[in-house]
Amino acid sequence: MPKIYVVDLPEFSGLVKCAREQEGVEVSNVHKGYFTISSDDDLVFNRRKCGFKPALWYTCLSGGLDGRIAEYGRDTLRIAGKAN
Amino acid sequence: MLTDAQANAENANVAVATVLKGVHHTARPTWKLKETVHFYQDVLGLKLCHAICARGWGRDFETHPDFIHFFFESGQGSTIAFFYYLQTDKPADTVPQGSFVYNSVHTAWRVDTQEELVAWKEKLESQGYDILRVPHEILDSIYVVDPNGYAVEIAWQTREMNEYDGVDAKLTLEAAIAIEDERGDRVQAIDEIWQRKALLVDAYLAEKD
Repeated sequence: MPKIYVVDLPEFSGLVKCAREQEGVEVSNVHKGYFTISSDDDLVFNRRKCGFKPALWYTCLSGGLDGRIAEYGRDTLRIAGKAN
Repeated sequence: MLTDAQANAENANVAVATVLKGVHHTARPTWKLKETVHFYQDVLGLKLCHAICARGWGRDFETHPDFIHFFFESGQGSTIAFFYYLQTDKPADTVPQGSFVYNSVHTAWRVDTQEELVAWKEKLESQGYDILRVPHEILDSIYVVDPNGYAVEIAWQTREMNEYDGVDAKLTLEAAIAIEDERGDRVQAIDEIWQRKALLVDAYLAEKD
């Protein structure tokens, strides 16, 4: 089960918004400055849907990653569970 | 011999806080005097505010050339300074100009609004300079290369930093240092840091407030 942590700062809000729009993706309430985003399936994000420019896109897991990066392209980020 | 003010300061013998108060100057060597003055004074519009013109002096083991050390005002009491060394030629660069290592040493000046940033971009472009604009996480920046090959950044910070920035920065560095301490070598990939950081964030969230 992949899980990421996202700091509750404006520049990362696109990641939280995209996660909330996806079925099967759970977004926690913010706790001590962090959202937790998790899913039973792979977590998949599209850069343009997140509204991220490249510099931000390539730092968007900086809150913490509990899982494995299966794909990190210019527009698609796919995070799998560690055992996958 | 001490002045009265110095003697009074020494006699006061009180604890003085060691707090930095912003940038006075950053300094770079130059071997292009006229071009550097033109760029900083005429192109950027900074006021030449101070210059030291000196015979070389210094330690026995170091033959210091004569030099001009000159300063331009860059706002809020800060300056940017150059050393123009005589009797020397520019040494070969240890890393190529324009490479990421070379460009990592730079000064970034602050502007207050996005409109000001755009105005700087247009001003420099109108004078024939290539400008790179990069929206970062909390900085919207433009970059120009000065006649020496030095990167100059002008940046608008899009929001104030807050407590979360500090907490998150601390956890990031703790994660990286923990990996390096365990391994006895440098961390190799950012993924490793993100994964280690998840453990630290878990622990941080589990702490009682």
